[in-house]
Amino acid sequence: MSPNVGKAAGGASTQVLLAGVLLAGFLSVPMWADKGVIFLASVALVQIVFALSFNVIFGLSGMVSFGHAAYFASGAYACGLLLREPGVSVFTGLVAGGLAGGALAAVIGLVALRRASGNYFAILTLAFAEMLHILIAKTPWFGREDGLTGIKRPVIAGSMDLAQGDGIFYFTLAVASVLMAGAWVLWHCGFGHRLAAIRQEPDRAAFLGVDVHRARLVAFTLSGVGAGFAGAMYAPLAQLLTPEVAHWSFSALPILFCLLGGTAIFWGPVAGVLVFLGLEHSTRNIIGLSEVVIGSTLLVVVLVFPGGLAGGMLRLRQMWRRQPASSGAVQGGQT
Amino acid sequence: MNSNAAILQARGVFKNYGDIRVLHDVALEVAPGTTHAVIGPNGAGKTTLFKVLSGELFATAGTVHFEGRDVSRVPGHARVRRGMGRTFQVARVFGENTVLDNMAVAIESREAAKGSHPLRSLSVSRSSALLEECRSILAQVGLGGRLHERAGVLAYGERKRLELAMTLALKPRMLLLDEPMAGMSPGDRIAAVELLRRISLELSMSILLTEHDMSVVFALADRVTVLNYGKVIASGSPEEVKASPLVREVYLGH
Repeated sequence: MSPNVGKAAGGASTQVLLAGVLLAGFLSVPMWADKGVIFLASVALVQIVFALSFNVIFGLSGMVSFGHAAYFASGAYACGLLLREPGVSVFTGLVAGGLAGGALAAVIGLVALRRASGNYFAILTLAFAEMLHILIAKTPWFGREDGLTGIKRPVIAGSMDLAQGDGIFYFTLAVASVLMAGAWVLWHCGFGHRLAAIRQEPDRAAFLGVDVHRARLVAFTLSGVGAGFAGAMYAPLAQLLTPEVAHWSFSALPILFCLLGGTAIFWGPVAGVLVFLGLEHSTRNIIGLSEVVIGSTLLVVVLVFPGGLAGGMLRLRQMWRRQPASSGAVQGGQT
Repeated sequence: MNSNAAILQARGVFKNYGDIRVLHDVALEVAPGTTHAVIGPNGAGKTTLFKVLSGELFATAGTVHFEGRDVSRVPGHARVRRGMGRTFQVARVFGENTVLDNMAVAIESREAAKGSHPLRSLSVSRSSALLEECRSILAQVGLGGRLHERAGVLAYGERKRLELAMTLALKPRMLLLDEPMAGMSPGDRIAAVELLRRISLELSMSILLTEHDMSVVFALADRVTVLNYGKVIASGSPEEVKASPLVREVYLGH
């Protein structure tokens, strides 16, 4: 058989298995981990949603944006401001966050995508994000550089108190699962296939009748919605928002997660987040060395596996499968 | 030929790139169900005319009508939705995907463009009817045995056939083919000429093509338009064009 990236990563049973292992892994965290690790796992879930939303435009549609923190931050502040008020449902906050991220992405996308040339688009998205960063840092309503405090963890449906025990963790896990499922559908549906087609040959896609400009704008907006949701998940979790979440270095995170995990496969950024945060956590006590370890890991992955961790795994699997085929006689029992 | 009956009609088309005039008052008409070739030496403006007709570029002046409607300012993807299919000079396919996936994207795009079932774009599974349609069109162009091959590993001639199959999947009423034989081996050319002739006859397809290979042009075309330095220097049946002294001088002579 020829190498076939799409199919090799796309077997339905493999997908369900991966999702099941991931869910079980996260569900088990409160059983063995301390408060710090449970909080870290919640942050990982937020970052997974953030990274997956970014990969909709980066890995799927082939657009490079340097300012994805802007949509995260707008979602986080929208949700955070609402949750400071008494009696506001956390779901209202979530929806507001998603809408805020999507609305900002739609506006910026409308301006930046008018000239779709790659570098111009990337720099423009960065410029808009930096503007938002300054706006937040200077506006009293947003808490300026000191941050937005007093964000409450409300009670859901009168019974589940997010402020008690591991409530916020389970809530974050549930929301992340729904959003991941949504991202998975987007990645594998007809519209997702057209985005992948646009990434590979935009002119061919256009002459299949696809409105390339509109599809890119929709993808960019949906990506903003996802980042907005990630921000909205983060607000009640952290309970403190600083302009840092709109800073360019925060935009760099999903790029790192995607490059580390691999952009060509849906699950790549998930692996990127887990490995990155795992490394960061396990090297946190070695002051100054943490960055060195993470930096050199990234360097090795990019040099050895240009397709990221997920791409590397696929390649290993293909080499594994090709071996019995090349040895000829023993391939009878291959499944 | 009655001008109102033309499926594709260009009138007074000029195209400038900055100060350089590439097309100068070009007129052209394609009658329904016929094959019309545009020929001319390198740099004559064939590809630019092709881009203006397909909507990849807009003319600086002049009009393009498709099925009687002015499409001069209609972008390429919208012309496709109105029934124009086009292939590229260097075949463009989605190399990371399988042959089958390439076809499925084409059919899904056609269905999505209708807009009657917007939620179907979110379906993650493909209907058996869609897969059947993919298989049947691929069989027509001789790629029935390569369904699960990655398009990127196909031979060049196969890639051209896949691109043609994807374009046919859009159910166009007219095909625009930019040098359909470019880069093909002599054997592939004969097969491709046969394939195009069959499409033209069985689907009574209107075809406009640009081509370098004169044997292809004279085997397929009902009408020929000759361009030189961006101007039409002859237009008519292949015999008329072959007989034109001007055409012999600038083109066929060397």
